[in-house]
Amino acid sequence: MSSKNDDDAAPRILGVRFGVNPNSSSLGVDVTYLLFGSGAVMVATLMLSAWLRGARGKLEPHGSAGDPSTGKAP
Amino acid sequence: MKVRAEWFGGIVSLERPRALVSVNRAMMRLLGIAASSRWSGPSRDALSAPTEVHLVISRQCSAGCKSCYVDATPNGPAMSLEQAKAALDRLAAHGVFHVALGGGEALELDYLFEVAEHARRVGILPNLTTAGLGLTPAIAERCKVFGQINVSVDGVGADYEQARGFNGFARAERALRLLRAVKKEVGINCVVSRRSYPNLGRVVALARKLRLNEVELLRFKPSGRGLATWADEDLTPEQARGIFPKAQWLTLRHLMRIKLDCSFAPMVFWHRPSLAVARFFGVVGCEGGNLLASVMPDGALTGCSFGGPNEGSIFDADATRRAFDGGFSAFRGYLARAPEPCRSCEYLSLCKGGCRVVAKAAGDWWQPDPGCPRVRAHRAEAGA
Repeated sequence: MSSKNDDDAAPRILGVRFGVNPNSSSLGVDVTYLLFGSGAVMVATLMLSAWLRGARGKLEPHGSAGDPSTGKAP
Repeated sequence: MKVRAEWFGGIVSLERPRALVSVNRAMMRLLGIAASSRWSGPSRDALSAPTEVHLVISRQCSAGCKSCYVDATPNGPAMSLEQAKAALDRLAAHGVFHVALGGGEALELDYLFEVAEHARRVGILPNLTTAGLGLTPAIAERCKVFGQINVSVDGVGADYEQARGFNGFARAERALRLLRAVKKEVGINCVVSRRSYPNLGRVVALARKLRLNEVELLRFKPSGRGLATWADEDLTPEQARGIFPKAQWLTLRHLMRIKLDCSFAPMVFWHRPSLAVARFFGVVGCEGGNLLASVMPDGALTGCSFGGPNEGSIFDADATRRAFDGGFSAFRGYLARAPEPCRSCEYLSLCKGGCRVVAKAAGDWWQPDPGCPRVRAHRAEAGA
């Protein structure tokens, strides 16, 4: 879920976690995606890129603590 | 849709499909998000706050499962409604996206739905794990407020009783049917032990029959009442090597989404999946104090529900900020001090040495997870 600094890079999706986790322990492995390997990465990247570009301007900042650019303290 | 800035860019929370997408700074700009103060300074190894938090709102449960990992009892401690709301407010301020409401049996609290509704109000998606024993059609209807709901089913029929110590399978199956009648995001949690391993296929077949959306397989943890039985319940070396291929086979056989919890990561990485694919899809081991944190009924923040030091109280704004900024060293510190064979393992940055709680139960928090096949082989070689 992380990457090197890339201020000048092209817009990129670095990673994704599908679904949500209702459990006490964290989700470790979604077996489905490992079955399909790099093909799944390509498909997911294309779909999510289109999705995100369609959402341009509709995103709402979440959380304010520790990030003065987004507003008030908790 | 919500977005939270991180040092590398940000995390976008999608509702359909439900996903947390990590993007770089250029993508954040393209999406119309202003530059964040988090983009200045050096790269960090940790997120600004967890993406998901397990809110242990109570240790109350009347089921009495013989291996309960929180040692829940009918009179265990619980957060009040006001405390739970205050905890959610704090987590929302830090940009936490999801909470897992659990315990204990959260459905035994008469204010659970108020807690879930409050979570929605402050922008957090509430999810739930339940044994489902007392679920009624009316309660199932109210469960629409949750995102994902998983019912604990550690075996089908008599296997359930063997795993949990009482015969609750029929009630759990009824709960699944009632929940599935009102929502799609319903799944099964199944604890995998030495004895339940051979019959996992029956649990996945049940999920398919009931048209559930996932089965999450959870490793048996040496915690709470489970500590006493762990030695007998822990997977054999053959089972540890077999769990990932078995999960893949069950995925294809039943066309069911199967997830393995974080503590199974060493058993997956032993099969050497593509590092790039694993990184992209967030295949990770111990993420205590980073992706995941827990809040106990007294408000104590910990890196994991199964163990780790108290990092401060969620009811204290400064303590919470300190914890998220630079705390959780018992979890985040493993990478820097990992001994062999973790140190030379190409998957260390994702696996992070496997489960700290299992390592501690085996004698030393800072040692590699003894259930990892690579660790077993290394130790056998060293001892030979």
